[in-house]
Amino acid sequence: MAETQFQKAIFTASVSYNKAIGKHFFNLRLELNGSAAEIFRKALPGQFTELDLSRLALPAEEQIPDELSECSQRQILLRRPFSFTNIEYSGSKVILEILYCVLGPATLRMKTLKPSDKINLIGPLGNGFKISSDKKLAILVAGGMGAPPLQHLAKELKDKCPGTETIVFAGAKNISQLPYYDIKLEKISQEPAFVLDEFAKHNVKALISTDDGSAGFKGFVTEMLKNWLKSKKPDSGKTIIYACGPEAMMSSAAAISSEFNIPCQVSLERLMACGTGLCQGCAVRYINKQTKETGYKLCCKDGPVFWADEVVW
Amino acid sequence: MIDLTVNFAGLKLKNPVFTASGTCGYADELADFMDVNQLGAFITKSITLHKRDGNSVPRVVETDSGMLNAIGLANIGVDKFIAEKIPLIRQYNTPFFVNIAGQTIEEYVAVAQKLANCEEIAGLELNISCPNVKKGGITFGTDPKLVSEITSAIKKNAGKKILMVKLTPSVTDISTIASAAIEAGANALSMINTFTAMVIDIETRQAVLANRTGGLSGPAIKPIAVYLTNKVYNEVAKPANIPILAGGGIKNASDAIEFIIAGATAVSIGTASFIYPDSAIKIIDGLKKYCQRHKIAKISELTGSLK
Ligand SMILES: Cc1cc2nc3c(=O)[nH]c(=O)nc-3n(C[C@H](O)[C@H](O)[C@H](O)COP(=O)(O)OP(=O)(O)OC[C@H]3O[C@@H](n4cnc5c(N)ncnc54)[C@H](O)[C@@H]3O)c2cc1C
Ligand SMILES: Cc1cc2nc3c(=O)[nH]c(=O)nc-3n(C[C@H](O)[C@H](O)[C@H](O)COP(=O)(O)O)c2cc1C
Ligand code: FES
Repeated sequence: MAETQFQKAIFTASVSYNKAIGKHFFNLRLELNGSAAEIFRKALPGQFTELDLSRLALPAEEQIPDELSECSQRQILLRRPFSFTNIEYSGSKVILEILYCVLGPATLRMKTLKPSDKINLIGPLGNGFKISSDKKLAILVAGGMGAPPLQHLAKELKDKCPGTETIVFAGAKNISQLPYYDIKLEKISQEPAFVLDEFAKHNVKALISTDDGSAGFKGFVTEMLKNWLKSKKPDSGKTIIYACGPEAMMSSAAAISSEFNIPCQVSLERLMACGTGLCQGCAVRYINKQTKETGYKLCCKDGPVFWADEVVW
Repeated sequence: MIDLTVNFAGLKLKNPVFTASGTCGYADELADFMDVNQLGAFITKSITLHKRDGNSVPRVVETDSGMLNAIGLANIGVDKFIAEKIPLIRQYNTPFFVNIAGQTIEEYVAVAQKLANCEEIAGLELNISCPNVKKGGITFGTDPKLVSEITSAIKKNAGKKILMVKLTPSVTDISTIASAAIEAGANALSMINTFTAMVIDIETRQAVLANRTGGLSGPAIKPIAVYLTNKVYNEVAKPANIPILAGGGIKNASDAIEFIIAGATAVSIGTASFIYPDSAIKIIDGLKKYCQRHKIAKISELTGSLK
């Protein structure tokens, strides 16, 4: 992808909202002012921020789920990376929206954030998705917690590429793992429909899959994608795929995109110690399409968004 | 006015705060967050003769108050370093040390020879203590005979550069290794590198790092690092009048001062920069405040002042 687009720095944000969506997910809104707002208002879908959650207290004991009770005792040291579901600006302030899943000691602490709490963040980091207005169809493939940056991208596409129709293929293990507020089960069909509010508000229809069949297509989201491409045969030169989710899902999306000759961008995840290019921990095996040379790129600095055919899967 | 300057093996530094090798890239990454010229000195990521891709991922994992890394000395190689990074380094007035590593003595020497003529570089830090590369690396640093051999070979080829040897804590007696380095011509000691360690995923019963083991850094290692600094200072460095660059888990000025009192002439900031990339600058500030509070005119008076 291109060079890092904008200046990054260390800022303090103020929490404006932090509420649960269903059982596993939370929506966090952070307010930024001054130079932080100036810089973040230009952040692109796919870019991310690193939050310092180490100073937050744990929730009360009875609010810690059993399965996290042991890991919650771990003393956190490093920041945690999060992408955005939305960036809203009004006047001189910017609201960053983050959708997160409680998985371990840091995200457990994140749950306790309440309005007007302060939080330290670094960003915007990495490079976002590349969009081009000559596409007729943009297909978003969201596996589980891969949804956040694709929600942001759906908005960007609506604003910047009015001639592009966007649809989302959203999958997860089961219905409770689909990170969306209100899933309109009755509207799910074989054809994309306005099933997910988060996407519907950007005029984006969705197809749903779950591994266990508890909602929508039974199977992997990439199987559903492949079936759909086979039957609809969209013009490959006018179509683009954007995928974010577990590594295996993105690897499969990459294979499908190459089979159908459709360009594809993926947003990768790596364990990150810094997020700023200092530690070299987040390596992504990379192949230069022209020279066929391979090597490593950094997920945090050169990515997290890569062209799927430049990643060695 | 508090005097933060220190004399480090003949080099006058504006303050005793260094960035640690491998935690601050080649300076350009850090420049987004701070004025690199405010640092006492900068140490680059380890440079080897040939480019190295490094280990497979996962390369890092967090532990209680620490982290493991097994980067595998990923770096661009000495020739590319000289062609691409030296021009960047030239812009800064802060002294730069280049950390060098290799698989064989010949490789180390070849890197040192190439760097000996770069006037932008103040010194070399000899990494004989990286726990994450097979062959070489840590085995050099654990055998006093090899330490002596490699140090003198590099000394002969390093021209006038200050030669600093970076010690591993993973030895029975660190003072023996430190003496071997000094007798072979080291101008300074750097300590400590990470501790070899492991994290296991109990669900899969696999090591989390692809390399299985990695080096432990961060606050978790600090008390051991302070102890080792004091030991080497008393047993080797002070008698030989050789400065120590010490670190391991430094997060703030108080941590840094502990090391200085234990015997360090200068301190290195590693893992802390991952969390707050401007940590080193805040620490410099904190050192000044400590000196004011304790009416210490020169920070160098603090070195080895443990009662
Ligand atoms: C670029 C990027 C963007 C991200 N965006 C979001 C987001 O929008 N919303 C969200 O909920 N999460 C996001 N994540 C993941 C998030 O950073 C982790 O869930 C979080 O760090 C977990 O911290 P913890 O201490 O609660 O749990 P930990 O105990 O640290 O982790 C819990 C589990 O998740 C796994 N894990 C943690 N971090 C990663 C990672 N980076 N890649 C793969 N597996 C991981 C761990 O191995 C462990 O099994 C993103 C990660 C990256 C790299
Ligand atoms: C991600 C990472 C990469 C490192 N790479 C190097 C390296 O290339 N060469 C080296 O001599 N030390 C390397 N180190 C060790 C540090 O320079 C330092 O000695 C060690 O981390 C202890 O200090 P700290 O706790 O302040 O990080 C690395 C440490 C980390 C965490
Ligand atoms: S996370 Fe440290 S370099 Fe990418």
